[in-house]
Amino acid sequence: MTSTRRRPGPRGRAVLLVLPALVPVVAVVGAALTSAALLSLGLAPLVGEPRLSLDAYRDAAGDLGTGIGLSLGIAAAATFVATVVGLCLALAATAAVRRSRLLGALAALTIPIPHLVGAAAMGLLLADAGFLARLLGVDPSSWPPLVGGPLWAAVVAEYAWKESAFVALVVAGVLSSRAASYGETAALLGAGRWARLRHVTLPLAAPALGGAAAVSFVYTLGSYEVAALLGRAHPEPLPVLAYRLFTSIDLAARPQAAAVALTTAGLALVVVLLSLRALRRLAAER
Amino acid sequence: MSGGALRLAGLTRVHGTGSAPALDGFDLEVPAGSCVAILGPSGSGKSTVLRLTAGLDEPTAGSVHLDGVDLAGVLPERRGMAMVFQRPLLFPHLSVRDNVAFADRVRGVPRRTARRRAEEFLELVQLGGYGGRPARALSGGQEQRVALARALAAEPRVLLLDEPFSALDARLREEMHELLADLRMRLDPTILLVTHDHAEADTLADRVAVLDGGRLLQAGPMRALYARPASLTVSRLLGGRTEVAGVVRDGRHESPLGSLDLPAPVPDGPAVLVVRHEAVQVTTAADPAADAVGSAVRVRPRGLRALVTVEVTGDGGTTTVDAELGPGHDVAAGGTVGLRLPAGDRWVVPVDDAADDPVADGARA
Repeated sequence: MTSTRRRPGPRGRAVLLVLPALVPVVAVVGAALTSAALLSLGLAPLVGEPRLSLDAYRDAAGDLGTGIGLSLGIAAAATFVATVVGLCLALAATAAVRRSRLLGALAALTIPIPHLVGAAAMGLLLADAGFLARLLGVDPSSWPPLVGGPLWAAVVAEYAWKESAFVALVVAGVLSSRAASYGETAALLGAGRWARLRHVTLPLAAPALGGAAAVSFVYTLGSYEVAALLGRAHPEPLPVLAYRLFTSIDLAARPQAAAVALTTAGLALVVVLLSLRALRRLAAER
Repeated sequence: MSGGALRLAGLTRVHGTGSAPALDGFDLEVPAGSCVAILGPSGSGKSTVLRLTAGLDEPTAGSVHLDGVDLAGVLPERRGMAMVFQRPLLFPHLSVRDNVAFADRVRGVPRRTARRRAEEFLELVQLGGYGGRPARALSGGQEQRVALARALAAEPRVLLLDEPFSALDARLREEMHELLADLRMRLDPTILLVTHDHAEADTLADRVAVLDGGRLLQAGPMRALYARPASLTVSRLLGGRTEVAGVVRDGRHESPLGSLDLPAPVPDGPAVLVVRHEAVQVTTAADPAADAVGSAVRVRPRGLRALVTVEVTGDGGTTTVDAELGPGHDVAAGGTVGLRLPAGDRWVVPVDDAADDPVADGARA
């Protein structure tokens, strides 16, 4: 009788190699999402019998609706500004004519600063009695409500400020290795500065820019502290709403918190899938 | 399309204060419709010439003239020059057709017209029907053809080629040489080519400028440079293998090879005899017309031919001479042979221009 020990094939080996990274992610995220789902669907009540119901979603529906709109709006505005500013920073840092290390370093400096510190700084800068208002000599009563105002300006500004550095870093990394030689080739084919930007640099940067924008959008969508610190009390963006419900003294609000958290995660997943699809299509075109 | 006349005058480029110039007072004429090659080793400054000509870098001194107009301060995109680099650098986000149509598109030509013209240029480089493919779906040789088509479609006054075929294998390179010769006949462009391969320069160019250490060493038709190199460095860059140190007295070169007549008057003094291996004839040791007799120390096959190194011992020491054998002609290593060095193919160069001067018993193998 012979015993045959089968060695894993290349596919099996790849799975084995990924497992150490995959197991903790699946365990933590999977367990969290599962327990949140069970809680929100009434299958893991704190008291009483488990019963499948959408009551939590129904109870939170009003706040959930405004929260979704608000969160998407903040994330879209912050991502748009971050993308434009980040792209400009990346272009300036990698310009073939004047490669600016200083600019690159200054842009990257933002990255290690935590959002909470950034939010506090933004509050001190933009509040009606803040540094900027004093610097410009504007009376607090006539200063626009940037912090805690209806337009969420300080929240968008903080996210945009922080994420623009991230976008710049990612895009500059791609451009620095390719833009110069392609730019020179294009120049010698008669393309002026704007034509080079439009026909060469932007298309080359597009995949990295799209990826960075998607990451930035999803992060902003699910981030709590900046909106909580610089936003207004009502209406609330999804993460603030979820946190408030979860820490409420009314323990019966917990299923609603789980419903809001799950909705946020679902939105983020949809955005990630859509952007992955768009990026794949972009890659297929090349 | 017909090319313009290019003139480079005193081009100098110093990269940083205190560093040696990458290019030092370089002069060159490229007549309209001609192909001139700049030949030099790595770091000789030959790519710097192209970058300064194209306007990608500013010269520290000197000027670039196109059809008599000084191009100082003119942006690269306004110079009417196109360049093909060693890497094809096809835009990855565009199809093959749109790569070739690029120059027309940025000039404002309607897309349909630009694409039709692109197809014509693709036909010209024998890639008709490849237009719809993505740029990355091509082989190395095809990519370089597209790069050439893209540059030609820009209808440049001067086409700059920066070692465009050096990354291709021998067969593809030969194909590209034939293609370029064909394009020259059809389009009559002015071409300034940079290469480190003297055979490529010989194949493609009407005239060659030899560059080393940022300085122009010699310029002229390739045949003249092969036969009459100005220095040992030029001889070596052109693939010269035989260098026999000796002394010139009364128009004759005296060395271990004996006293040999020279075809042209040369001042007396130490000088190195250079003879192309293609010109040396190998005969029998008993041949009365042999200029020297020695033993074959090394035989290297080169297709149907072979390259033999013959060691000759004579007055003043030992030297080696390389000779190319005719097809089918063979010599056994260690055998004694005679050498004929035709008088018209002998040439002497000064000894003092190269760092590693040959010595009487140690010419280059």
